[in-house]
Amino acid sequence: MTPELDRADRAAAVRAAARSWRRAGLVDDEALAAVESAYPDDRARAGPVFRVLLFLFTVVAVSGLLGFLAAMGLGGHEQALATLAAAAGAALLALTELQVGALRRRQGGTEAATSLLGICLPLAAAAWLVLGPGHMEPAAGVAVLCTLAAALTGAAAWRWGYPFYAALGTAAALVALAHLPAGRAVWIVLALAAAPALLRLSESPRLPPAHRSSAMAVLLVALAGLYLAVHAVSWEERIVERIGGRDPGLAPPASTQGSVLWWSAMAATALVPILVLAAGLRRRRLPLLLAGTVAGVASLATFQHYLGLGPAWLLLTGAGALWIAAVLGLWRYLDSGPAGERGGFTAAPLLTDARRQAALEVGVAVLTLQPEARHAEGERPFEGGGGRSGGAGATGEF
Amino acid sequence: MNPDVVLAIPALVESGALPPAAAPRLLRIARGQLVSVHAELRALLYAGVLLLMGGVGLLVRQNLDRIGPLAIATVLGLAAAAALAWVARVAPPFSWQEVASPNLAFDYILLLGLLLVAADLAYCEVQLGLAESQRAWHLLLVAALAGLAAFRFDSRVAFSLSLTTFAAWRGVALVDAANARAWGAATPWPAWRWNAIACGILFAGLGLGLAHWRRKAHFEPVAVHLGCLLALGGIATGIDEPAWGAALLLAGAALAAVAYRNRRFPLFAYGVVAAYAGVTRLLAEVSHDAALGCLWFAASSAAVIAVLLVAHRRMREPA
Repeated sequence: MTPELDRADRAAAVRAAARSWRRAGLVDDEALAAVESAYPDDRARAGPVFRVLLFLFTVVAVSGLLGFLAAMGLGGHEQALATLAAAAGAALLALTELQVGALRRRQGGTEAATSLLGICLPLAAAAWLVLGPGHMEPAAGVAVLCTLAAALTGAAAWRWGYPFYAALGTAAALVALAHLPAGRAVWIVLALAAAPALLRLSESPRLPPAHRSSAMAVLLVALAGLYLAVHAVSWEERIVERIGGRDPGLAPPASTQGSVLWWSAMAATALVPILVLAAGLRRRRLPLLLAGTVAGVASLATFQHYLGLGPAWLLLTGAGALWIAAVLGLWRYLDSGPAGERGGFTAAPLLTDARRQAALEVGVAVLTLQPEARHAEGERPFEGGGGRSGGAGATGEF
Repeated sequence: MNPDVVLAIPALVESGALPPAAAPRLLRIARGQLVSVHAELRALLYAGVLLLMGGVGLLVRQNLDRIGPLAIATVLGLAAAAALAWVARVAPPFSWQEVASPNLAFDYILLLGLLLVAADLAYCEVQLGLAESQRAWHLLLVAALAGLAAFRFDSRVAFSLSLTTFAAWRGVALVDAANARAWGAATPWPAWRWNAIACGILFAGLGLGLAHWRRKAHFEPVAVHLGCLLALGGIATGIDEPAWGAALLLAGAALAAVAYRNRRFPLFAYGVVAAYAGVTRLLAEVSHDAALGCLWFAASSAAVIAVLLVAHRRMREPA
């Protein structure tokens, strides 16, 4: 990432924070203008809706152009088509560099589209090269492709600061590593070894904001890999080995239910979510808390599958009721703490962007037919004077 | 946690841009020493309601013989009544304006109550052995009940449930009507399309009316977005015919123009995509050449990008 882009991202982070302070009524328009003047934006950006539209139409435009060139005879043969894809990919990567560099585009949609196509097209060409008739064995070919994908996406994440590519690259690297004879062990060891460093990197002031987010993205994918590698079902179904393209054969005899290995896998299935949740609580990192919650739910479903804790309807109904009760309990516990917080957590909507939240509600309503609820009374944006006990309007009647 | 903001706050205080009194708390937030789990708690509550309703669905399906229909209907009814009674007890007085929710769980308990009523109604309808053609009526009842609840309790959750259930009523009623005439008959697409368009216009009109008369004006985005999507989606189902392609082009262009004037960014996006799909459909009528088609996509998309860049400069959507 260039120093200019680094500076632009850091300034954008400060401006975004200042806008949230303004929305919360902490600063006035004059102060916001002063912040925006002190941290000016030198990039051409687009809002979220225009960004999506520009991304979409750039993908269509480039695909149409490539289709036209192919139809005009430039890609009459498979090899020519692969060459066209590789050349177009290189051109698009150069175009991305031009947009992010000289044209100073950021969050503009078009540069994200050209970077994505710039990664996908060379991969398509490489797929033809390694997986075509008479070339490599499929398993080896997939490993090579995943290694290439990891390298390309990793480089893109590093150069242009896209956390999505960092996550994608990590997933591709895990698939490539699964092809090693001890792929499962590598997944476990790498995740455990890298997690502390990645967590530190995700908070490091020395890194640009996009690289910090990328470190968190890599950590989350690595933790997902760790969970999959130790999970009881994964042992039994040989999932990592299947991903590695090997004949999984039978599950090791030691992994049959009731054996030491099986109980170890069950213990690990329970332990990973607990450790992730503990790390999230300790470092107050929401992504880890969410990942731990999702893994915890998956582990509970696994225990139900193996241990038969009860009929599904009873389990779902009971779990739903308990879940609601637990969330309400947690909310009231946090809200009743000194200044409405406990252990650095609060249920109050600190610096919430009501405009974005309203847009999200409409989106959720339209897409899933069930929107999120509106704000509760007392769920005011952040108040500089400190919180208040029972501020969410708790009546004690529920 | 945001190290860049941590570094910026002292400088901003020193320059006078930020009130010194606000700095300590803002620093805590930026350092990650104070974290809000507000959105997460809301999402978890919603997940809990879905989980509970999933269990209720299984309960009804798997235990009909063992527990008996009367017991199931009674339990569902009692649970729904309990949820709605709690909502009615804690709800603030009615107002045509936006009313603050009494607490975080309010909308979700209301949603739970309404979904339980819906499940109970559907269950009773099946148990009462209503004719096939009448089975959609419980959806209309639920839509009406959710609509009433939405206005009384000022709940966008219930309002969207009402609109989507109303649309579902039209869809299911049409299929039921077709089945009543001849079992296994194909879905009546033209009727379905016109119903979708009519529902879309009705919803959008309702939303605009609410905003115009300042009666629950904050419901307007849900109704207008859902209405536009339904209407455009209904028109798009007929895109096999060029006339519907032209209709999609006109409707999309009109929506984009109105949204452009009013700076309604998502509506502008719906309009642009619909108009593009419509004009592309019309072009397909003129030429079936693959190369020309690809050239069209390349050239037209480049033109749309240019138009979007100009429109963005004028509409100024915040990044």
